[in-house]
Amino acid sequence: MSASALLTARSLCAGYGDFQALFSIDFDIHPGEVVALIGANGAGKSTLLKTFVGLVTIRDGALDFCGIDVSKTPAHVLVSRGLAMVPEGRRLFRSMTVEDNLRVAADHAGEPAAGSSPWTLQRLYDLFPILAERRAQAVENLSGGQQQMVAIGRALMTQPKLLLCDEISLGLAPKVIAEIYDMLPVIRQAGTAILLVEQDVSLASRNSDRVYCMLEGRITLTGKSSEVTREEITQAYFGVKHEVG
Amino acid sequence: MKWVDAVIQGLLLGGLYAQYAIGMSLMFGVMRIVNIAHGDLVVLLALIGISLAAAFGLGPGFIMVILIPVGALIGWGLQRGILNHLVGNDPLPSLIATFGLSLALQNLMLTIWQADTRSLDAGPLAIQSVSLAGIQVGVLPLGILAVAALLTWGMHVVLKTTRFGRALRASAADRDAATLSGIDTKVVYAKATAVAVAILGIAAVFQAARTTVSPADGGAQLIYAFEAVIIGGMGSIWGAFAGGLILGVAQVVGSRIDPGWGILIGHLVFLLVLAWRPQGIMSRR
Repeated sequence: MSASALLTARSLCAGYGDFQALFSIDFDIHPGEVVALIGANGAGKSTLLKTFVGLVTIRDGALDFCGIDVSKTPAHVLVSRGLAMVPEGRRLFRSMTVEDNLRVAADHAGEPAAGSSPWTLQRLYDLFPILAERRAQAVENLSGGQQQMVAIGRALMTQPKLLLCDEISLGLAPKVIAEIYDMLPVIRQAGTAILLVEQDVSLASRNSDRVYCMLEGRITLTGKSSEVTREEITQAYFGVKHEVG
Repeated sequence: MKWVDAVIQGLLLGGLYAQYAIGMSLMFGVMRIVNIAHGDLVVLLALIGISLAAAFGLGPGFIMVILIPVGALIGWGLQRGILNHLVGNDPLPSLIATFGLSLALQNLMLTIWQADTRSLDAGPLAIQSVSLAGIQVGVLPLGILAVAALLTWGMHVVLKTTRFGRALRASAADRDAATLSGIDTKVVYAKATAVAVAILGIAAVFQAARTTVSPADGGAQLIYAFEAVIIGGMGSIWGAFAGGLILGVAQVVGSRIDPGWGILIGHLVFLLVLAWRPQGIMSRR
C-alpha cells in the first residue's frame, strides 16, 4: 500500500446485516487531491463513505488512514484523527443554533493537519459570511443552501485532513450549488483532501482531479477526470450489460 | 386567605416534584429515554440513606453528600449496562426494559426493607417555620423549593453553555451526526443519566425528611415527574420546574376543595394542559 496515501482501501467488503453492499473495493486518496465518486442511486456510494468513516461494519478487506489500520476504529475516534464527513441530507442538530452546531464539532476536534492553520469560527464566518449574520438562529430556519454551508462548516471545525462530501448539491438550486462548489478550492488550499460523491457527472468531473465510478457495489471505472471519456463513464455508470439494442 | 395559603403550600410541594422532574427532563425531555424506574430509584436511594443514618447516626446533610455519588454510580451503570443498548428513535424498548427494572427494584426493596414506612429525621429543621406575610411557611419545604430552583438553574446553564451540554443536546438531536462530530455518544449519555440519578439522590433525602418512604411508593413519584415534564415542555429544564410547581399547586388547592380530590385535580390540570397546549407551557413551538 502506498505510504503517502491518506486513505487506502483494499478488497473492502461491507454491508448491512445479511445484505452485502460493497464488493472488493480498491480505493486511494492522497493529500491535496480532490477525488470524485459517481454512480447511480443505490450504487453504494454513501455506503462506501459510511464504511470509511466507521458507521458501517467492515466484513473483509483492509482500510488504512494515514498509514494506520482503522478497520476496527470507532467512528468518533476517526474524526479526531482527521477524517470528517458532510453526511447526505446534512443531518444538522435541529433546535440548536448555527453557532452551537459549529461549536459542538470544534469541542471535539483533533489536531489540525500539519503545516496548515486551524479552522476557527472566525475563519469559517469569513468563508461563509451569511452564517455570521445568522449565527444565533436555529438551523431549521435556514435555507437549504445555508444549511449545507453549516454542514460543511461543522465538518471543517473538526480540523480534517480528509473531507468526505456526500451529495452536497442535493436539493439545491444551480446558483447555490455553484456558490458552494466555489468554496472547495479554498478548502483544498487549506490542506484538506476532498472526496466528492455526486450523481451529477459533469459537476463531479469539472471539480476533481480523479474520478471513480461505482455500480452495484463495485468500482467500475477509475481515472483522471480530464482524461476519462464520455463513453467510458456511460458504460461504467449504467453497466455495459444494461445497453439496449 | 386560605386560598393564598393553599397556593403557597402548593408551591412548596411543587418544589419536591420539581426535584424529581429535573432528572426526568434530562432523561425523557432531552434524551427521549422512558425510565419507568425513575420513582423507584428515588425510593431506593431514600431507603439506603435511611439505613445509613440509622446504622451510623449520620445527619441528613451527610447522607445527601453520600447519596449524590451513589446515585451517579447507579445512573452510570444503568445507562452503560442497559439503556445504551436500547437508545434509538423508538421509546418502546427503554420503556419495557425499565418497566422490568422497576418491578425488580420494588421486589428487591421489599425483600431487604420490608413494607414498613420509614422516614429520615431532619432534626429541628423539620418543624421550624417562618412567617411570610401572615402565613406560616415551613423551613424545610422552603429549603426544598430553593434547592429545586438552584438545581434547575444549574442544569439549564450546563445544557446551554458547557461543552458537555452541547454534546448532550447534539447526541439527542442526531446520534450519527454527533458521532461524526467526534462525540462518544455512549459516554455522553452515561454521564447525563449519572447526573439525573445523582439529583435523585438529593431529592431522596428531602422526600424522606418531609414525608415517609416505603418500597412501593415509586409509582406515584414517577407519574408526577412525567406530568411535570410534559406540562413544562420537552427539553426545557425550567419548564419541568414550572410543571412541578403547577402540579403541586393543583394538588393542594384541590385537596382544600375536598380532601379526597387533591391528586385527582392534579391529574385533571395535567390533562387540561395537554389538551390546550400539548407541546408544553415553555416550549417554543
